[in-house]
Formats: sequence, C-alpha cells, structure tokens
Amino acid sequence: MRAVLALAPRLRTAGGSDTRLTTGLAVLAFAVTTALTLSVVGGLRGFMARAANPTSQYEVDYAEPYVWLAWIAVVLLLVPLVTLGGAAARLGVARRDARLATLRLLGVTPREVVVLTVVETAAQGLAGAVAGMVLYGVLLPVWSLVPFMGSHLTVGEMWVGAPGLLVAAVAVPLLAAVSGAVSLRRVVVSPLGVARRQTPRRLGWVRLLVAVVGVGLFMVVSVAGGGLGAAVIGVLIACLGIAFATLNAVGPWVLGLYARLLLWRARTPARLLAARRLLDDPRAAWRVVGGLGLAGFVAGCLAVLPALTMEAGSSAEDRLMVDDLTTGAMLTLVIAFVLAAVSAGVAQASAVLDRRREYALQHLAGVPAELFHEVRRREVLGPLLLVGVGSAAVAVVMLSPLLGFAGVTNPRGLLLLGGCLVGGVLLVLAAVESTRPLLRQVLASRDVRPD
Amino acid sequence: MHTTGTPGAAPGAAAPTRTSDGLRARGLVHRFGSTTALAGVDLDLAPGRSLAVMGPSGSGKSTLLHCLAGILVPDDGSVTLRGREVARLDERERSLLRRRHYGFVFQFGQLLPELPAVENVALPAMLNGAPRARATEHARQWLVRLGLAGMEERRPGELSGGQAQRVAVARALITGPDVVFADEPTGALDQATGANVMRILTETTRAAGASLVVVTHDKGVADWCEERIEVRDGLVVGHHVRESWDGAAARADLSAGHGGLR
Repeated sequence: MRAVLALAPRLRTAGGSDTRLTTGLAVLAFAVTTALTLSVVGGLRGFMARAANPTSQYEVDYAEPYVWLAWIAVVLLLVPLVTLGGAAARLGVARRDARLATLRLLGVTPREVVVLTVVETAAQGLAGAVAGMVLYGVLLPVWSLVPFMGSHLTVGEMWVGAPGLLVAAVAVPLLAAVSGAVSLRRVVVSPLGVARRQTPRRLGWVRLLVAVVGVGLFMVVSVAGGGLGAAVIGVLIACLGIAFATLNAVGPWVLGLYARLLLWRARTPARLLAARRLLDDPRAAWRVVGGLGLAGFVAGCLAVLPALTMEAGSSAEDRLMVDDLTTGAMLTLVIAFVLAAVSAGVAQASAVLDRRREYALQHLAGVPAELFHEVRRREVLGPLLLVGVGSAAVAVVMLSPLLGFAGVTNPRGLLLLGGCLVGGVLLVLAAVESTRPLLRQVLASRDVRPD
Repeated sequence: MHTTGTPGAAPGAAAPTRTSDGLRARGLVHRFGSTTALAGVDLDLAPGRSLAVMGPSGSGKSTLLHCLAGILVPDDGSVTLRGREVARLDERERSLLRRRHYGFVFQFGQLLPELPAVENVALPAMLNGAPRARATEHARQWLVRLGLAGMEERRPGELSGGQAQRVAVARALITGPDVVFADEPTGALDQATGANVMRILTETTRAAGASLVVVTHDKGVADWCEERIEVRDGLVVGHHVRESWDGAAARADLSAGHGGLR
C-alpha cells in the first residue's frame, strides 16, 4: 500500500501537459463550486441576521419571507453546484483511468487503486476549496454592490466566518473523494473494460412517470395551500427539491429520445455525428446542459414572482419587495448560468482530451477541423435549447395555478426569463468555443502512435 | 463531384489503366529542427501497385509517408499525384486532397467509437458530398465484400481487432482513392490476423485500381507488397521489385494454416 501511495505524485507528473491541464480544470471547477456555494450560504446568513436583528420597520415586517426566498435560491442552486463538483471529480478520474487500469493489470489491488484515486481527487478538491475561498473573498465586495431591502448587504453580513470556511475545507475534498471513488468502479471491476465501449443501458420510461407524479404533486399542493403562508412555502421548497430530482431523473431519458429523432433526420456528417454522440451517452450530455436546464427551471419559477406580488397592490413597500425579488431572481440565474458555462467548458475540454487520438487520426484522413467544431457546437446547442427552453416551459406550466392571468398582464418577469435564456445560451456557447485552441493543438499533433 | 468507389470489381482484376503517372516524389527533404528526417528521397509508384516502406525507428519512414500523404509539407523536393504537384498545396487543399484522393489505414483508433461500422465507412463518402442513403448503401456493400456481413450495426468497441481493421480498409476505399496509405496497419494484431488483414488490404486496393503504400517494420507484412524500399537515415538504401506477384503463395499458406476470416 505504501509503495503504491508513493506512486501518486509520479503518476501525476508522468501524465505531462494533459494531466496538468485536467488537474487545472478540475481545481478550477472545485474553486467555482466552493466560491459560489460560500456566496450563496453567505447571502442566506445575511438575510437570517437581518431577520434576527431588524434595523428598520420594513425589515421587521418582511425579513422573514426574505429568509425563505433565500432558502429557495439555495435549493435551486444546490443541484447545479453538486453536479459541477461531481463533474470536476470525474474529470480527474477519467484522465487516470488508462494508467490505473494498467496498474490493475500489473497486479495492484482494487483497494490500492481506490485509495490512490481518493487521495489524488481529495487533494484536487482541497486545492479547489482553498482557491474557492480566495475567489469568495474577491466576490464579496461585488455581491455587496447589489441592493436588498433598501440597503446593501455588507461584506460583514455575507461573511460565513472561520467555521464556514473550515466546513468548506473539509466538505469539498470529502465530497470530491467520494464522487471520484464512485466513478472509479468500472476500473476496479474490470481493468480490461475501460477501453471497451458497450451500448449504454436504456433509460426506463419509469423516470417520466416519476417526473409527472412529482410535478402533479407540486401543483396539487400549491393549489390546496391557497395562500403564501410560511408553512406552505416550506412545503413548496421541499416539492421544489423533489421536482429537481425528477427533472434530473427524466432529463437523460428525454435527451436520448431527442437524439433518436436527430439521428433519423440527420443528412450531413456533422448532424449525424452530433446525434450519435448524444445518443451514445445522454447522461454526459445532461451533465453539460443539466446546469442550464435547471437554470431554465429556476427562471421559469422566478419569472412569475413579480407578477404574483404586483397583485397585492403597489405601495412603496410592495415595490421594494418586487424589486428585490427580481434582483434575487437575476442573481440566482446569473450564478446558475456561470455554473452551467463552467460545466460545459470543463466537459468539452475533457472530451477533446479523451478523444485526442480519434480527432487527430480523422484529421490526418482529411476530415476538416471545422467539422469537429460544428459537431461540438451542435452536440451542446441542440440539448441546450431543448432542455433550457423545455424546462422553463415546464416550470411556467407547473406554477400556472399560482400565476393565473398575471403572466399576461405583467409580462416583465417572462421577458426577464427570455433575456436570461438567450444570455445563458450565449455564455455556454462561448465556453464551448473557448476550448477551440485545445482542439487545434490536438489536431496539430502527429504523434498518434500508441506508445 | 468525386464518385464513391464501388466494391463490385472482382479481386485480382487488372488495374484500370490511367493516362498519367501514379505517385511520384523527387528529392524530398524534411528536417525537424536540426535533425534531418528525409535527406533527398525519390520514389515512383504506378497506379494499382503496392509498396512497402521499411526501416528501423527514426529512419524517416513515417516522415516519408506524411510528406507523400500531404500531412507534412517537405522542406524541399516535390510530390506529384497523376502529374499534379501536391506537396505545396495550402492546408485546406491538402485536407481536401487527403479526403478525395487518398485513403488511410492506421494502426488502431481511427474509427469513431460512437458510430456503428456502417456509418464509420459511410462518413468519408458523406464528407465528399454523397447523400446519406447512398453512402450507407455503398458502405454496406463494402462491409459485405470484406467479410463483415452482419457486423454493420456493431460499434468499434464490439469488433475484434481484425474486424475493426477491415472496417478501416472499407473506410479508406469507399471514396475511390488514388493511393491508400497504411501506417503499421497490423501493428495491433496477432500474426495470423495481421496476415488476413494484409491479404484483404492488398487485394481490395489492387482491385480498386489504387496504389498502396504500407509503412512497416515487419518483413512479413512487407512481403505482401509488390515493391519494397528500405529507408535508413532519411535515404532510400534498397529497392526490391517482385518479378511476379506471389501473394497467392502467402494466401495459400494462410488458408492452409488458419482457414477463414476472423
């Protein structure tokens, strides 16, 4: 065991620029995850502090609902945050797969391989957590520019304190290690299986049923509640969590169906390849666009809030509340979009590295580089539009019992939704394009012999 | 538009006569930094002929293949294909040349893992403008011809090494290339499977009227070709031409020893 652990740093350096790059990407993803989680938790703490020690009549009257709304934002961002963290862990593991499989063939035991991976992934998680804390510190003054409740949330209010940082320093490496170990199972189970690509398991229609039941439950509860009392909001938040889980469950299945449709209709090489890639691994595609799918869902939910509150009248306090809700919606969306874009960039970069040999050989055989760019764009853009717009529509339909006709009479929220979807799509596309130089570098390489 | 190749011609049929020369290189020089990989190589290959390029590691044989195939631009000298200078085309034109006039068989890993065999073969034809339905039909015919009937929908991960290389041969030939370049095409295979792939590669390439350039360090692989050159330190040091093609003898050996396709 000790000898194998001693190998860890050598394995890392032996990987060359590839491994350095993927390690860098994984650390970046952990850092973004940590910084945004700390920011979101900091905001929640800020609102809780104001509710506990109100300094104005408005805060006395309304601070409590703000805490609940902040909780909703936390729940909404939890899934994309965890997804990105998981993607970061997998990224590190995927690049080591081949060499770990070699170690297995050389007789290293499964337990030693797991320990080796857990140690390395946890180290990346720790590096990311530390970088994320620094990023959080940089972001604090930025967040404090945003007005809430008629004044700005101060840096002091959003500071999670030493205990918060300590929790992040322990939790991020721990979750990274667990996630890495889980995704390592295939190497451990079968060292020869890594290079082989089997037809992926079909995703059952049961997922769709679960989703429909989850959405229906939400609608029934929100109608039966009849008001916006704190208890009902609590249930709504729980249901929102369930809705998220179901969206995550049904997403890959829907993407698989969509890929079949694309495949059937494909007439050009780029469309054919994009459809085949999507069909090959809809889960991977979902991990890329799931962030924006969830962001679309967030936008759908929050887009109705201004319209809802305007029904109550238009006193100065109500206007302040609506402004704050819109601000909160924008912030949540911006964070979700940033997470989605980082996810897309990380996934595309690792896909380029994983496919470097086939990319290079296809290029040598005369396949133009532009085809690869088009395939990459299509394989992200198709699901992005389907999932982003689709999940936003699901959210609006889900909330329609609460919304009524206010969506038509007060379209501001829905316009905001449209704007954020366009912005999000462009941001994710930009992240995909940012990996262009990496692909160019891979294509320029003629060193395609396996040794 | 460039037509797609048809697998209809029988193996061993006479190569079609072409009006001008096949592949020709004159005075090829290529350096990597201060290292001279090619120090002035001349080479002629008629349409339908096969040539093995042999030599130890670092001899320059891969650089030679890359210069002939329009992957590298030589520092000096010329490469002509059917009388047309191709070495100094720009990047886009060389890419087009490789796609339309050349076919490639690499050691492994050139098939896209998410595409079934038939689509891997159809892809180059589609890139050259053939509609998907027609390209797929041609691809099917090629797979059947190369003994892969029933494997059309399998993905590369579900094929054996020999089967995957035969798919790669079909992929290289579907566009009706003038020259097929094979870089250690049997390097990842056992000897019997490798011989099988070489038989199919040489027979089908010849039948399609294409020239074949095989880079290998394996004398057994080189023996399948009609001509053989030895490369040392960037120079051609030996050139052997068979009087009559005796691949048939090797074929007899193979069928006696190992029987059918694997």
